[in-house]
Amino acid sequence: MKLVNLMKGHGDDMRDMRRCRTKKMSAILMVAVLTMASMNGCSSKKETTKTNQTNQTTEATTTSPEGTTAADTSEAGVMSNEEIIKQAASEGKVGNWGLGNEYEIQALLTKYGQPITYLSQAFDMDGFDDDSISLASAMTFNELGLVKNSYDGGYNYGNTVGTIDMNEEGVAMLEDNIFCTKAFAMANPNTVKAFIYASMQGWKYACENPEEAAEIVYKYGSSVSPDHQAYMASEVKKLVETDMQGSAVTELGKMDEAAMQQTLQLAQQYIQLDDATAADKLSKLTLDDVRDTSYWEAAASSTDGKFGDLEKTDVTIQLKWLPQAQFMGYYVALEKGYYKEVGLNVDVVSGGGDISETTAVSNGTVDFGVTWLANLIAANAGGMDLLEVSQVYQRSGLVLVYKLDTFTK
Amino acid sequence: MSKAKKILSSKPLIMMVWFLVLVVLWEIGASNMEKTKRTPENILPHVSQIVGSVTDGKLVSNNMTATQIVLKSAGATLERALIGFLFGSVFGFLMALLMKLSNLVEKTIFPYLMLIQMIPIIGMAPIILAITHDIGTSRIVIAAILTFYPVATNTLAGLNSVSKEKYELMYSYAANKWTIYKKVLIPSCIPYFFTGLKISAPMAITASILVDTLQGDGGLGCMLSQSLKHAMSIYVFWQIVFFSAIIGILSSVLMGFIEKLVSPQMRQFRQSRKHRSKA
Amino acid sequence: MIKRKKNVFVRFITNPKVQPFLSVILPVALGLFIFILWQTQVLHKLLHTDTFTLPLPSQINQIIGDNIPKIITNVKSTVLVAVIGLTIGSLIGYLIAVIATVFPKWGAGGLSIVAAFNAIPIVALAPVMTNWTKDVSKDASVRSMVAKILVVMIVSIATMSVNAYRGLNDLPVFSLDLMKSYAAKRRIVFLKLRLPNSVPYIFTALRVGVPSSVISAIVSEYFAEYITGVGRQIRENIVIAQYATAWAYIAVACIIGISMYCILMIFEGILLRNRRS
Repeated sequence: MKLVNLMKGHGDDMRDMRRCRTKKMSAILMVAVLTMASMNGCSSKKETTKTNQTNQTTEATTTSPEGTTAADTSEAGVMSNEEIIKQAASEGKVGNWGLGNEYEIQALLTKYGQPITYLSQAFDMDGFDDDSISLASAMTFNELGLVKNSYDGGYNYGNTVGTIDMNEEGVAMLEDNIFCTKAFAMANPNTVKAFIYASMQGWKYACENPEEAAEIVYKYGSSVSPDHQAYMASEVKKLVETDMQGSAVTELGKMDEAAMQQTLQLAQQYIQLDDATAADKLSKLTLDDVRDTSYWEAAASSTDGKFGDLEKTDVTIQLKWLPQAQFMGYYVALEKGYYKEVGLNVDVVSGGGDISETTAVSNGTVDFGVTWLANLIAANAGGMDLLEVSQVYQRSGLVLVYKLDTFTK
Repeated sequence: MSKAKKILSSKPLIMMVWFLVLVVLWEIGASNMEKTKRTPENILPHVSQIVGSVTDGKLVSNNMTATQIVLKSAGATLERALIGFLFGSVFGFLMALLMKLSNLVEKTIFPYLMLIQMIPIIGMAPIILAITHDIGTSRIVIAAILTFYPVATNTLAGLNSVSKEKYELMYSYAANKWTIYKKVLIPSCIPYFFTGLKISAPMAITASILVDTLQGDGGLGCMLSQSLKHAMSIYVFWQIVFFSAIIGILSSVLMGFIEKLVSPQMRQFRQSRKHRSKA
Repeated sequence: MIKRKKNVFVRFITNPKVQPFLSVILPVALGLFIFILWQTQVLHKLLHTDTFTLPLPSQINQIIGDNIPKIITNVKSTVLVAVIGLTIGSLIGYLIAVIATVFPKWGAGGLSIVAAFNAIPIVALAPVMTNWTKDVSKDASVRSMVAKILVVMIVSIATMSVNAYRGLNDLPVFSLDLMKSYAAKRRIVFLKLRLPNSVPYIFTALRVGVPSSVISAIVSEYFAEYITGVGRQIRENIVIAQYATAWAYIAVACIIGISMYCILMIFEGILLRNRRS
């Protein structure tokens, strides 16, 4: 040990000597300048050349379309949906997030005879903004609002953008629902009914008072700016109160047979599974394997929310995403005490993480979940045993958004 | 003159200069973006804009300013990072000792320690959750798993670096295995252990930000992705990027500081220095 | 020195000729043991999980067998990103270490700045890189490839530069004195002493760098514009609750990591052989 210390001390002396020598050899400022120059050149060369390149290419790309549109818009209006889709698809500029959100887009592309490939869209609209995606996916209540509006995070395109609606194109699939496992529904029928009853009361109040609902969600740890929250509430209201054909829905949360059948059929056509067993199971699924209308019917026909003894009073629901007005019904039901009235003690768990709502419900971490019907169908094909008990959104909120001046004749 | 020289060559000053160089580079990029892009703040905002957003009193979400959001979520994340790091480094150290004790154990499990690092969290998380049945515990366990590897490898390297002469000296004292570990192996692996800690401390923070996103209930990771999706001001994102980098550096520096306080080698090193300066 | 009597077993396992075989046989044996526990579902009981969250090896195997062409395309893109990123990153990292050695005062400070890049989470780095590379090419597959490579590169730079710097500066005791006594120029000291001394440290860096480059490539694929790669497949399948398929791709990711590690080990064995003897 002593020897080691000696050696260390020696090394130290040596280093001191070296330090002296370097000091003598070159003035410190010289070294500094040299190092800075060379390090600069090395560590940042790539970055600077890249940004240079960036500038040139953007200048080239941004000037040309603007130049042409200025000349062309005066002549004719916007292309038809079919022409837009064909042009965007041929350029490979149709965007979607993937991850189970892509089936409607693929169905639309198939409808117009295009290949079903798309670009992976980030969860922001920057790709749309910088024209790398010319036909971008957007939810009416979320991304579309950011594209149009000028509030924090918005892109302020106003009315210079157009949309292609999945409902109008006949390729709509059903989105946000309420589900649990089949085993849970069997064991706790009264709890399920009471939960649906109180949740629908929450949704009813939220749709009647969207501004107040937005404020309530905001209070419950929302992570969305207040302006966007208010916009979202007004758009979500439309999805809950209108069906795929555009007619008004009075019975909130009902499971429309035709819409569900269309969703199942599109899911079976476009969900690609590498697992042969799962793919086989998917092709054989029927509506009865994924939903049970009896719980919602009981809840809808009840006038007082009394369903006998509740098997479980402390229940949790995991959302598909972070707290935002997309889920305002549950927060309103909490705030207004609707859950308390039916004897339930509800905890709302935010989603949007790596542990998806289907996984969390399936392994019993939470009792209820909110997901898209297509995701539930895929999960059941993969071996889960989930059951939809209510369909909150009656029409698809997915649209394809484009800049009008990109697609003018 | 020599005093001026000393100040000029002091480490903090050098770091400052480097930092300024980076800032200048960043600003050049930001100015370019400003000229060519419609929404430059999403791609590369000016440093002044980011700094401005820190002091800006504007309420971004939930009645909090951007800085308040970052600090509040940082609390949860850093707490998990700290606990995960403590468990991870203790586990890593014990693993290294175990592997030193038995060559067979080392040969058997070492490849698997590397393999565990290869499993993406997204695949691992449901299993860990199934074992722990608690999202908070799962997060800590995963943060620990992601941080123990550098500690284990570096400590093992330290244990293996002990020279033959030292063993022979201990054998000549007829020292038993326990004494050899206590007097020779463990003290001499400490610098290596700290090298491991210096690497894994920033890793614990990135790991903890990553496991925030297991479930969307707060934490820097959630706010980062939420801000990236423009659900709130994009400056929350930029603040978190810089915050995590700064905390990462500080955590590494802190490990160096603790090393100086506790490590026996450093103590002797310091004393010898003191003696010399007195003389 | 007192020599304790060793039994046959101990003598066998400490025999230097047996060592290389042991380092292959033992992990494989443990692997087989785990596989048996896994396939017979004993592992599921121990971990309190089910065959859905942790699918059986036979099932994973079957899915891999059914989808070989698709898996190969994805593997190609992931391996390309990991290897190119690791190579460029390591070269730049080494260069930084060299510069830091030549200009010690200013270099060391710069080095700690480079190390700080390690503290930026990949989940933040990947989307930023995707945004920064938007104008590199009109072809989305090219620009997202560049973005992914940049992420892997940045992660590798930090690991390599820190290790290489140690290799260039933690010289054997007295070796520098010896060089001085020869009145060797700094350039000679660098070429004959520092450079060779840093070689083992390069391999230490690569040992850490290989797994981290693979995992960085996987995570950066989550955020890439162009849909391809093993990581993207893992995420897609987990999100739509196809755990068996996701685990098939996780297994593939592990195989990529192990193969790259083995190739590294072989290289290290060849390059450092002369040194040891």
